[in-house]
Amino acid sequence: MEKLDLHRSRTAMEAGIGVCHDCHKLQYLGELHEVPCPRCGAAIHYRKPNSIARTWALVLTALVLSFPANLLPIMRVDFMGSSDASTIMDGIIYFFQEGSYGIGAVILTASILVPCFKIIGIILILLSIQFRWQSWLRHKTILFRIIEFIGRWSMLDIFVIALLHVLVEFGFITSIVAAPASNYFTGVVLATMFAAITFDSRLIWDADSEPTVQFSARPDETFITTMQAGELHGKTSSQKT
Amino acid sequence: MTESPVSQPDLDLDQVIACHGCDLLLENLEPEPGARLCCPRCGEIVKTRKIDSINRTLAFTFSGLMLYPFAMFEPIMTLDTMGLRNQGNIFSCMTNTWHSGYGFVAIIVGLTSVFFPLAKLLLLFLVALQLKQGRSTPTLARLMRIYVHLDEWGMLEVFMIGLLVTIIKIHHLAHIHYDVGFFCFIGLLVMALGSSLMLDKEEFWKRIEHGKT
Repeated sequence: MEKLDLHRSRTAMEAGIGVCHDCHKLQYLGELHEVPCPRCGAAIHYRKPNSIARTWALVLTALVLSFPANLLPIMRVDFMGSSDASTIMDGIIYFFQEGSYGIGAVILTASILVPCFKIIGIILILLSIQFRWQSWLRHKTILFRIIEFIGRWSMLDIFVIALLHVLVEFGFITSIVAAPASNYFTGVVLATMFAAITFDSRLIWDADSEPTVQFSARPDETFITTMQAGELHGKTSSQKT
Repeated sequence: MTESPVSQPDLDLDQVIACHGCDLLLENLEPEPGARLCCPRCGEIVKTRKIDSINRTLAFTFSGLMLYPFAMFEPIMTLDTMGLRNQGNIFSCMTNTWHSGYGFVAIIVGLTSVFFPLAKLLLLFLVALQLKQGRSTPTLARLMRIYVHLDEWGMLEVFMIGLLVTIIKIHHLAHIHYDVGFFCFIGLLVMALGSSLMLDKEEFWKRIEHGKT
């Protein structure tokens, strides 16, 4: 790709440079597929190996596990000898009926909307890579960043159950214990988190065929620069090493 | 710097930086302390310079480690209902779940809320301490790598929100008395968040590398 005037390559891969996944050090790879990082010892690849296949496997695992996770009871409340098992949705409905809309919304978001959003989002990104859809690249990256960020927040429900189990323990009077869906739900969270880890967001941009990157300054104090942005170089020359 | 001789290195690798979000090659500018370098194509933050990173990380991780045992093993709250009292601490969240037969859930809860937060604080403390003293051993890079991988698996802040949801769930069932563990846990959370905010990974890696040679 001969888009740059100053340099022949636009991406690190086109220049034969690999980036260390762990410490982000650059290293010439050339024809090699794997080189140990001189700085931290991790294996450097151009892209994470088998990223698409692994991410598909994990996201489909999450999809399958999300059925028992949502349909089976996740928590059992024993009160005076009678026990009452509730699914995730039951818990949310309970909060809305009680009138605590805020907390109901938090649990609804963390336990139902976030997992759905993650699974659908990752599937969309994977499909777009496999069919080489070249539009919305930046939006897909932002979508992936959001998925990456919110991944861990789905553990909320599991933590609540573990805490209730410890705190509400009054023997026969009342106690709260976990129920089978908690296993599956934890599985969903783990699978989606690993899916976000195995996915390589650079694959989204490998489909990019836009000629040149627009150089623009942001309102905040961040520097934005590309290789060809020589004029900026002059402005910030004092920081050059 | 070890250069692999496979391809024609026409770029000086110190002069360029690659966006790890989209692989775009960028000029390696040094942002001012406190500023960030953003990728113009995908918006990823490519580089951040934190002020006084090593000292601050050291301070936060040390405080976090001091609070850790109290946050985990002191009771977080006492519940009072119908003449019955019950206390619980965070460590028992893991053990109780284990004893109720949900081993998998217990392991994940234990790892994400008990072990990984401790491991993250310890690793960062050790690395920062060694760098502060100007020492660098090959193990330092290994420790830092483990930290990078554990980064998103320590979930204290998620646990904190879980704690708040739990309180809202039970506050009308029983009288809640907050114990030492609760406040220590909040302190631990602040220290853990602070240490990862103050951490300048780029600088840490650079120092680890230069110590090596």
